[in-house]
Amino acid sequence: MKKSRINDIIAAHISIPNGSVNKPYQAVVDFEKWNMGDVIFSEWKGLADIGLTYNSERKTIEGNPTVSGDHKIQLHFCLEGEPIHVKILNLIINPDPRSLWKDLPSDVNDPYAKPDDATAYALMGDRKLVVSSKRGRSHKNAGTFRDDDFAFYNFDEKGWSLIAVADGAGSSAFSRKGAEIACNATIEYFKQYFAENKEKEIEDAAPDAITAIAKKHMYQAVKYVYGQIKEEAEQHAAANPALFNHKNKTVLEYYHTTLIFALLKRFDFGYLMMTFGVGDCPIVLLKEDEVKLLNRLDVGEFGGGTRFLTQAAIFHSKEIPMESRFNVSIEQDFSYLFLMTDGIYDPKFEVENNLQHLAHWKDFMEDLHGNNEAKAEVDFSQPLNEVAQSLSGWMDFWSPGNHDDRTLAIIY
Amino acid sequence: MRRLPVYLLLDTSGSMNGEPIQALNNALSGMIANLRSDPLAMETLWISIITFDKEVKEVLPLTDLPSYNLREITCPKSGPTHTGQALEFVYGKVKQEIRKGTDTQKGDWRPLLFIFTDGNPNDLYLYQEMIPQVKSLNFASIVGCAAGRLSNDEFLKELCDVVVHLDVADSTTLKSFFKWVSETIEHGNKSMGTTDTIDLPPPPDEIHFVI
Repeated sequence: MKKSRINDIIAAHISIPNGSVNKPYQAVVDFEKWNMGDVIFSEWKGLADIGLTYNSERKTIEGNPTVSGDHKIQLHFCLEGEPIHVKILNLIINPDPRSLWKDLPSDVNDPYAKPDDATAYALMGDRKLVVSSKRGRSHKNAGTFRDDDFAFYNFDEKGWSLIAVADGAGSSAFSRKGAEIACNATIEYFKQYFAENKEKEIEDAAPDAITAIAKKHMYQAVKYVYGQIKEEAEQHAAANPALFNHKNKTVLEYYHTTLIFALLKRFDFGYLMMTFGVGDCPIVLLKEDEVKLLNRLDVGEFGGGTRFLTQAAIFHSKEIPMESRFNVSIEQDFSYLFLMTDGIYDPKFEVENNLQHLAHWKDFMEDLHGNNEAKAEVDFSQPLNEVAQSLSGWMDFWSPGNHDDRTLAIIY
Repeated sequence: MRRLPVYLLLDTSGSMNGEPIQALNNALSGMIANLRSDPLAMETLWISIITFDKEVKEVLPLTDLPSYNLREITCPKSGPTHTGQALEFVYGKVKQEIRKGTDTQKGDWRPLLFIFTDGNPNDLYLYQEMIPQVKSLNFASIVGCAAGRLSNDEFLKELCDVVVHLDVADSTTLKSFFKWVSETIEHGNKSMGTTDTIDLPPPPDEIHFVI
């Protein structure tokens, strides 16, 4: 009777919750619930080796686990009139996820290599620009490239400023190049555009005609950018067919990228702002007591689901007319203009909808001003190069579950 | 935080009894140990395990990887393979569990579905009825694995984006299959078009791509 009872206790499956290294652990030991109410003596062994103790008052296993692994801990027990027996229990201690992340450099010899991080600053008309783009933890961990990109240009003699930000799709092999071309080709296009004085048509237009003309001009730019990516894709595929062996994929799909850009100039009547967006990167204008999203965001019902510049369908979608991707507005004044990738707003705003709420932006500004775990501060009153440097530092914030590339451009 | 939900549908019909089920358990726990060392998986992966024989059991409700603590999967000595019922069950679960993006909540990564079987559906009518429904859930990928000589790839082809075949359901083969599964899972949390299916890593020698 006793013998089979002892065997039952030893064989019974008891599951204790998993712990994690460096995270306070507490598991209740309840002999009644474990169907071991007849045990008269018990002692735990093996707990101390992994940083845990048995608290006999609270009847808990507790402490800060120090060793990860699938541990076998021993419960020495006896029933009345019986010698001591040993039951083995499994206790899984997870490693501290922070300690698991690797920081492997990307391959500088790759034909599509790009610096892991990039930070820049510039005067933009009567405003200033700081921008930083950093490789995400998931890419550091695998030694792969940053897929985000940015580019900007100041057309001094014309008074126009341009900034573009792009986020290459994590699932596409050459999206980093797609994002790079998307940004650079936008700049190239407008260089030519201003060289040919095409902006005159907008500047000389009657106020109620500006929007339509500006949208038409931006459309030409986007078409050009699309063509540039397509050209690169076709050339690269012709030279390296083995790299493009997916039977259901067009060569352009290997370069999937989003794109946002903003073109602005100050006039007597205020700032004229022309913006475009495809994908899930927002352009946000922050004023003293108002926040305005200047582009439409393509966000799907699932995480990561978005639309790309490299999908020809966006140009003739009935559901989302191309026209709705352009925005033209005149602003008397503004405090900040932000362009960012989801690597920033996912951790900082959680959902896209919050990007339109002033309260969230107040929190975000406080965060930028140093109200954060790392006490990283961006002080916009400092010299431009220092602001850029501190922005780059601020962008290293830790956020579990958010490991995407991060790009943030601020015009102030 | 965005979750990557992964549903594993495992055949525990009578033919799995003995060495195959033991191999399956070993391979599964090997895969979990493997994933535990991947920080990305540790922060995002949620796993659900559903077994099917003559009945369907949710042996592990959708659980985050750090809390995963599964005891052995067992199987009856004999009995039919109710794959259709399993699909019906997983359809209900996915409908109920997956978080879609809204104004106030972050959407999950598109879920993955793996279905492992060593036989053919005995409830073929229900199985075929469920195929379009399961497909409508917009999984990032539905991966089918047919093990052994008895299972017919054709059934899985109707359901899955990818079907692989294992000649035997022994320990080595299952281990390398589940290693491939974990590599596939690691591909799951990336941005992509709203309806694209993900690219899968190349399979090891022991498994053959059918489609």
